[in-house]
Amino acid sequence: MHLLAQDLVNGILAGGILAVVALGFSLVWGIMNIINLAHGAFIMVGAYVTYQLFTTFHLDPFVSLPISFVLLFALGYLIQHYLLNWVARAPILSTFLLTFGLSLLIVNIALIVWTGDTRGVTTAYSGTNFTLGDVTVPWAKLYTLLGALTITGVMQLWLTRSRTGRAIRATSMDIGAAQLSGVRVTQIYAIVFALGAGLAGVAGTLISLSYALNPSMGDPFLIKAFVVCVLGGLGSVQGALVGGLAYGIIEAFATQIDVTIGTQHISGSGLQDAIALVVLLIVLVVRPTGIMGRPTA
Amino acid sequence: MQLRPTAVLGALALATSLFAPPAPVSAAGDTILFGSAVSLTGSLTKEGHLTQEGYDVWKNYVNAHGGLRVGGKTYKVDIKYYDDESKNDTSAQLAERLIDQDHVNFLLGPYGSGTSFTVAQIAERKKIPMVEGNGAAEKIFNQGFRYTFGVLSPARRYLEGILQMARAQKPAAQTVAITAASDAFSQEVAQGSAAWASAHGMKVVYNNKYPDTATDVSSIISALKQTNPDVILNAGHLQDALLVHKGLKEQNVLAKAYGYSVGPDTPDFANSLGKDANDVFGGAQWSDAVKYEGAPGFYHTAQEYAKAIEGTYHHRADYHNAESSAACLAFQYAIQKAGSLDPEKVRDQLAKLDVTTFYGIIKFDSRGLNVYKPMVVNQIQNGKLVTVWPALTADGKPIYPAPPWGQR
Repeated sequence: MHLLAQDLVNGILAGGILAVVALGFSLVWGIMNIINLAHGAFIMVGAYVTYQLFTTFHLDPFVSLPISFVLLFALGYLIQHYLLNWVARAPILSTFLLTFGLSLLIVNIALIVWTGDTRGVTTAYSGTNFTLGDVTVPWAKLYTLLGALTITGVMQLWLTRSRTGRAIRATSMDIGAAQLSGVRVTQIYAIVFALGAGLAGVAGTLISLSYALNPSMGDPFLIKAFVVCVLGGLGSVQGALVGGLAYGIIEAFATQIDVTIGTQHISGSGLQDAIALVVLLIVLVVRPTGIMGRPTA
Repeated sequence: MQLRPTAVLGALALATSLFAPPAPVSAAGDTILFGSAVSLTGSLTKEGHLTQEGYDVWKNYVNAHGGLRVGGKTYKVDIKYYDDESKNDTSAQLAERLIDQDHVNFLLGPYGSGTSFTVAQIAERKKIPMVEGNGAAEKIFNQGFRYTFGVLSPARRYLEGILQMARAQKPAAQTVAITAASDAFSQEVAQGSAAWASAHGMKVVYNNKYPDTATDVSSIISALKQTNPDVILNAGHLQDALLVHKGLKEQNVLAKAYGYSVGPDTPDFANSLGKDANDVFGGAQWSDAVKYEGAPGFYHTAQEYAKAIEGTYHHRADYHNAESSAACLAFQYAIQKAGSLDPEKVRDQLAKLDVTTFYGIIKFDSRGLNVYKPMVVNQIQNGKLVTVWPALTADGKPIYPAPPWGQR
């Protein structure tokens, strides 16, 4: 019983990070129809920005969080404006190739700047924890979860209440109608892509607290972002949050699966990824739009 | 050190081998030319450069001492390098180029198990001996290759020393929990550790793997915590070591010893973890504390070798340096015994080699693997790496049991 409770906590804590990892990816995919393969590289850059500010200026990751966001937002805006705009209406393969190339470029620049050495951000509170009954909760991961929830909340409010946010949602619903209503679609695209990069930067900052840094660290997160998006439903804040939490909890419980059939011993812990993907498959069969996704007209 | 099956490459290799010219055997003039494609850029840049340093230290020593005397003639030695960008396929292509275009006499290994595996296939096809010091996965040696030799202790022995050390303490460690990444190297390490523990009266209370792409292992650690083990081992790479060690602290898991197959030996481990890195054990191929009296022809002791590395490259001698130099040494002694540069004769002498060096014993089993050399165990004590096992070669006593988190 205690292990189940601990796993639930582990899953929620891991899921919160995955939600932020997937959020930017989901918005760009859902609204612009671009599967941004450079998302993992953006996450990595965000983590290194945090690392650099932490080691040079002793800035706490939560203090440097807005800085990562702003820097990556600017980077994303420039990339969209000068690069992606050329292929905005092109077939999906073009954007695939372009963002993949971009990812290689960014990772290799990072290798030159920061070398291939593995690094870590170890704060005074990293590793400290408190117990609730039998369940251990690490402070750093709890802060990370709270950070993730705050960011998804702010994003949700901004998308539903602000003028720009409503224009973004309008563009994703019907691009023609949005243009007729006076929405400048190229401007919206640039903002959405920049936002996606900025959120990747935030995810990188949060990840740096528990995960070690090296230039190729973004790869596993890119794949997870993909699964979380499809699981939760594309292009919405709630989708990313629910998908992230679901993925985190499924992985945590999958670890404890331990079945013996005859002499064959099957353990779930090496198969977390596979089990999460099977759940994804089931969700897609039952609800093709993902858990929170709405069928498009 | 990951293995990637390269079926496409294998097929390509097979196709091109039908048209390949026979490899030349003679050295150009008075120089024996070695060739190596190492990771000078890419994700394994750092290890690649350490490998190159190990090769160059040997080359410089030999040339400064008059060269190699082979069959009545004296040769200088030289090494031709290419950058394999840390990619398995590239490494194999470059090895082919070294043989066909640069006409190297012998191959020195690349860095890593994946690249060593693909290059071994080229060495085999071209019948050019390769000695490698940086690919420990046994898969490389289970293919029946005749021309590939590895001076490393195999993966399954990586954590054995830590278990031996823990068993020798009073009271002796009784239980062990093992976590392992799912790649070939880590799985071999885990299986070897579990087998040793069971065979020597220890109880393996937890033994489980996680995907090598895992970004969170907290649920593995929750399950492991319930088994309350004396020793916790992780078979994986640096990234795993950091993830697991942070996770153990987060959930306040207390053991008498924590051991990692890769991690504690690299400065990155202590730099990333700070005080939490203290008292952690790591398995290592070599350390500058080992006490072997080497055969003539190179630096005799680990201490002399370490001095040479520090003098030339201004950093502490690393085991990657030593194992790379050891690969060169295997060639040196085999070539001298063969009295010839004929690849076939040198191969036969490599197979028979039995020599003690600054690095330890170099002697290959029938697969070409150096199973005779023990691993050493290092422990981070007060931020410094101290060799604590085997007791005969140690320069310090192990801190055991480890103090609780927060008191290190």
